Amino acid sequence: MPAFPSVEWFNAVRERYNTDQTLHSGGGGPCEATAALCIGDSVYLLEFEGFECAEIREIARDDIDQADFFLDMPMPEWIDMINNIQENGAADLDHTLSTIDLELEDGLPRAPGDDQYRRDLFYRYNQNFQDFFDASAGIATTIGPVD
Amino acid sequence: MNDAPDLELDTAWMERMGEWGTTAQPGKRGLTLEDIRIGRYGELPEESDNMSGRPRGAAERPEAFRIGGYTVRSKREIWLENATFLYEEALQRQWSSATDIPWETIEPLPDDLEEAECALCTFFNEVEFVAGDVPARWVANISPDFFEARNVLLAQVQDEARHMDVFRKRALANGGGLTRVTGATSGFVGSIDLSRDFTEMSSRMHVSGEGAVLSMFRMGELVGQNPAEKRMYRLCAQDEARHVAFGIMHLRYLHATAPDRHEEIEAYLDEAENLSLTGGTNPAGPQAETSEALAILLGGGKQHYDEGFRILLAIRKRQLKEYMQRVKSAGFGERFENGRSPVPGRIAALS
Repeated sequence: MPAFPSVEWFNAVRERYNTDQTLHSGGGGPCEATAALCIGDSVYLLEFEGFECAEIREIARDDIDQADFFLDMPMPEWIDMINNIQENGAADLDHTLSTIDLELEDGLPRAPGDDQYRRDLFYRYNQNFQDFFDASAGIATTIGPVD
Repeated sequence: MNDAPDLELDTAWMERMGEWGTTAQPGKRGLTLEDIRIGRYGELPEESDNMSGRPRGAAERPEAFRIGGYTVRSKREIWLENATFLYEEALQRQWSSATDIPWETIEPLPDDLEEAECALCTFFNEVEFVAGDVPARWVANISPDFFEARNVLLAQVQDEARHMDVFRKRALANGGGLTRVTGATSGFVGSIDLSRDFTEMSSRMHVSGEGAVLSMFRMGELVGQNPAEKRMYRLCAQDEARHVAFGIMHLRYLHATAPDRHEEIEAYLDEAENLSLTGGTNPAGPQAETSEALAILLGGGKQHYDEGFRILLAIRKRQLKEYMQRVKSAGFGERFENGRSPVPGRIAALS
């Protein structure tokens, strides 16, 4: 059973996202963006190409400018979101990425160099990222060590 | 064995005047407009003298009528580097307001929330009419030599039609209806349609107007009371972010290629910032009817209006910050450092 967060866990989610057509809902068409997720001490880079999440790998924090934007939340909030998706089959109304974004004073996504064009990709492809995280509902998950 | 008679047809009319032997190859995303920007077909003129509607790269026909009254005939008036990409994205990310919104999840709301939601939907109906009408009017003015940018605008018209219908559907789906029009389109928003220059129009509509509306759509997801409303606002925000991207990339192109127009563009931004973004006509601003509706929704009802208004002001601050970052991304960020723009002061006042 893969542990969150880990490359193994993200690859399990990626596999489901890429193969389960029910997760590619209307408005969630092809996506061309690279997102980084800062979770605890780790940074995971997710490359979306067309209808797939093409690759996931762990990168050093210094390499974060490889991403168009990055999402950085405290570990308990990541865990809360993942647990909510596991319990409900998809994020409930209080745990969608957009809702979390709007509840933070400066928002959830950040972009290297504060480039708003790259940051706006989070909003342009938001349904894809939500569909990706909702795909984790079908993955048996253990929560890894919490810092 | 071929038994067909040799008819000796004269096919001299079928002269291969365009570049021949072209074999565009589909890539990972299918055969996109970018894939067919090859050879002479991919060459854009700096100035277009094409008044006959001739597809770019096709042979000319001397007797062709001048069917196009194209006023936008210069590449630097219209171009942006990612037009092909935005067009393909727009086509492939279309959605249906009839079937992609889980309408069955809507349930009756308290009267104050339903009225506020309907007021917001009425407002979005109004402004999306403008956002559809204006690019539609410009399309016929643009030389077909710049069809990539033209096509993005055509896709935008479709997007805006969908936004109009989805908000109308929401207003009529849950025991409410449309409210009194806000009149928001008679001020700065309406003046977008008075633009005589494409860049003037784009800076007003894509960067200032739609940037502000993008923030409101995202607010909509925060105040959505059910999955249907959440999804409606999220999908509209996706489309709107694409329209904003058009404006940013167009301004970025002009910043790089037309230094003689910088001051003119600064003046368009002055107008937007003074009249709309920091003025009373900002629909997310403190004086508008829409802001009252938003505050009721954000607070969770009339009795929590003050709390809703506090959240609204925090989001408005983000709206202005994001606008500022977009303008910086387009290359015109100096205005926020040299005291020209009122936006930093407005952000400070909201802090």
